[in-house]
Amino acid sequence: MIETLFSQNALSSSAAFALSLLIGVAFGFVLERAGFGSSRRLAGIFYFRDMAVLKVMFSAVITAMLGVAYLTAFGWISLDRIYLMPTAYAAQIIGGLIFGVGFVMSGWCPGTAAVGLASGRLDAFLCLCGAVVGSIVFNEVYPWVSPLQADSGVQFVYANLGVSHATFALLLTIVAVGMFWGAEYVEHRRKVATSYFNTPSLKGFGVALVVFAIGLFITGTTGTAAASHAKLVPPLSVHSTALPTDLLANVEAARDHVEPEELAEWLSGGNSDVFLVDVRSAAEFNTFHIRGAVNIALSNLESYLQPHKNRGFVVLYSNGMTHPAQARDYLYGRGFQNVYILTDGLTGFVERCLKPVSLRSSPLGPDAAARINAWRAYFLGGPQPGAQLVAPVKLAGVVLPGLVTTDWLAANYQQDGVRVIDLRPQPEYNAGHVPGALRLDVENLRGSIAGVGSMLLPVRIIGEHLSLMGIRPSDVVVLASGDRVHDATLVGMALGRVGHQRYAVLEGGFGKWIAEGRSIGRALPSIAPTEYPADASADRFTVAYKDVLQRMQGRSAVVIDVRPSDYFAGTKSDEARAGHIPGALNRPYTEDLAGTDRYTQLKPIQALLDEYGKLIPSQDTPIIVHCRTGHQASQTFFVLTHMLGYRSVSWYDGGWSEWAARPELPVESHAAATAPAARSP
Amino acid sequence: MSVTKRPPPKYLNPYLAGFLLGLTLLASFLILGAGLGASGGLARIAAFAECAIAPAHTRASEYFGPWCDQPLRYYLLFMLVGTFLGGLTSAMFANRIEFKLERGAKAPALLRAMLAIVGGVLIGFASRLAAGCTSGQALTGGALLLTGSLVFLICIFAGGYAAAWFVRRQWND
Repeated sequence: MIETLFSQNALSSSAAFALSLLIGVAFGFVLERAGFGSSRRLAGIFYFRDMAVLKVMFSAVITAMLGVAYLTAFGWISLDRIYLMPTAYAAQIIGGLIFGVGFVMSGWCPGTAAVGLASGRLDAFLCLCGAVVGSIVFNEVYPWVSPLQADSGVQFVYANLGVSHATFALLLTIVAVGMFWGAEYVEHRRKVATSYFNTPSLKGFGVALVVFAIGLFITGTTGTAAASHAKLVPPLSVHSTALPTDLLANVEAARDHVEPEELAEWLSGGNSDVFLVDVRSAAEFNTFHIRGAVNIALSNLESYLQPHKNRGFVVLYSNGMTHPAQARDYLYGRGFQNVYILTDGLTGFVERCLKPVSLRSSPLGPDAAARINAWRAYFLGGPQPGAQLVAPVKLAGVVLPGLVTTDWLAANYQQDGVRVIDLRPQPEYNAGHVPGALRLDVENLRGSIAGVGSMLLPVRIIGEHLSLMGIRPSDVVVLASGDRVHDATLVGMALGRVGHQRYAVLEGGFGKWIAEGRSIGRALPSIAPTEYPADASADRFTVAYKDVLQRMQGRSAVVIDVRPSDYFAGTKSDEARAGHIPGALNRPYTEDLAGTDRYTQLKPIQALLDEYGKLIPSQDTPIIVHCRTGHQASQTFFVLTHMLGYRSVSWYDGGWSEWAARPELPVESHAAATAPAARSP
Repeated sequence: MSVTKRPPPKYLNPYLAGFLLGLTLLASFLILGAGLGASGGLARIAAFAECAIAPAHTRASEYFGPWCDQPLRYYLLFMLVGTFLGGLTSAMFANRIEFKLERGAKAPALLRAMLAIVGGVLIGFASRLAAGCTSGQALTGGALLLTGSLVFLICIFAGGYAAAWFVRRQWND
């Protein structure tokens, strides 16, 4: 099965831009070859002078239609990996009619006008300018015309007509071949020079198309799309008792949608049966998301949601509704009966639930206004007018991954969705821990990989550990270290590697917890192992020495070495070579720490912001952090990425231990004066 | 020194061109997971222009507003640039680049220019309304057998044939 850029949420990547450009080149080339750099030829179809548009258009539609059908039948591609446009009858009928008028007036459509412009046609240029103006006009009148765009989801024409995919495909092919014959006949009668009337090539082409269309009945393709997009049956039973019955009834009535107000009410009311999934890109998610949402790429949805299959409510959202609706339909086809989409998506949620009362066009009653203010307080974490939000939910005031205070943990450790992992040695854990906490030795997550020691283990093994610890994707994992904050942050790297973003580091660790005299338990927690759906593609932050070398040489990243300064300088060493990566900055991880005699914790954010701001002013600067084995650097990674908002930080796990032992890699050492990199010992 | 100009070669057999276009569309499905598109790129240029002219107003607008941060970072704009480059390459090889306002021999240039502009405005508007143009809806959605796209395709021809008679003078010879 091919994963497309769309299914990987990567249509805005540089690679997608480059590939789009190439596909565009092929598109433009073929259009020009077909003679579509001429408006006269394009308009010819409307005067029965030159039927090329019809011939090219339908040949292409039939070719691609058959291609998609066969590739689907062979299992190469699945329709849920392709962006399918929703059907909006009003917009598409009115839009089509206006477009047709514009087409015959200008003699161009947008794609052919680009080719016309390349062919030097002034009228193509004028048309494109007009189209830009037309787009702006649309933006200006959007509030008035947008109701026309209300869509009825992705609709397949054969399903609407109640016939099979293959039947409709054959029918359309026959109609197209018939139109080809008609077009040729018209041109033949009009004595157009380049008529293909009755030529063997056209006959052959027509026969081939029909044969391939008939072949679809044999390959038995039909099912996939039709089945998963067939009528949506309402969920039979949703195992939920926690929801108020009236809300439940509302959901049942709406069948597959959740209204923004309902969602806001559930989340702000602390309903733990709702698993909210943001299917937008990680970048968009990090910029803003609905509080409590988890970010999962479309391509990972099915595996991620397994633990939630028909348990509680899974709500999907994106900016609009198309992607979640497709995903919902797909999941429904895979037996998920509890997946809902958020009506109008994030846009609708913000508009309907979070838009300030003062900016609304229609006046609101005092109750409605109070409700919106409460939602705003909860979701935007702004000033909380009279804390009438009872029992702040799981994540009140917490951004994940991030820090949580002992106060927060004291209020939340008993919640079912909160798991504390204690990282201290076994005897200390046995003597007392946060009640219900699990113990984990960080070294369980590291091992020797391809000759390099102390490497964070692969996704599969980390996923196994999480499964055995009974961690679920929806759990908030709180990491409580002893006096080594980097134990917690290293586990954070492991969680990041499997895509578990819902974790927090306990500020001050267990030391602060005990210093404050908080409650302690000695019993083992009761844990049921799970099947943790680890995301194999979540780790985008670990880099290998080759990447470091390349980016060091290309000066495309700042390397921060977090080891103590004497090791950095090369005056001390317990590795194969002494010194540091040429050009690296030294910021020992200990400088990010402050503590009392009873516990160690990270410095306050403002202090860290000031110090790192002097070192690396822009939060967009690509940074690579490393230490000797990756352990201490995980702390700097956490500080930069999850506390200070640096957006492009990578972690070189192999660290100095590996770098020093690969003789081909350059080393800089202050001990050896200012020896240039290439001549290092 | 005179350069003898080769006459432009014949256009490609339309069925072969259509077949190749279909393969291009298939490649787009397999690689991008989305079909071809052209008006989406134009809309981004429009957003870019409007953001540049009236930043505050555009940012506050509902449709272009969310694009204002990076209006040009969109795959379909790259595809549109590619379409231009592909067209240019082919037209150069075919010796078909001609700087002219294409119209009927007896048609007034002003009439043709006005129709090109007004038609362009309609196309730009309609493709935003329908969320796609001949490429993004008719061709792409048609190949996927999406109901709305096929309806759009039929309506293009209906609109075109209905208006053809009124604008026929621009092609008078």
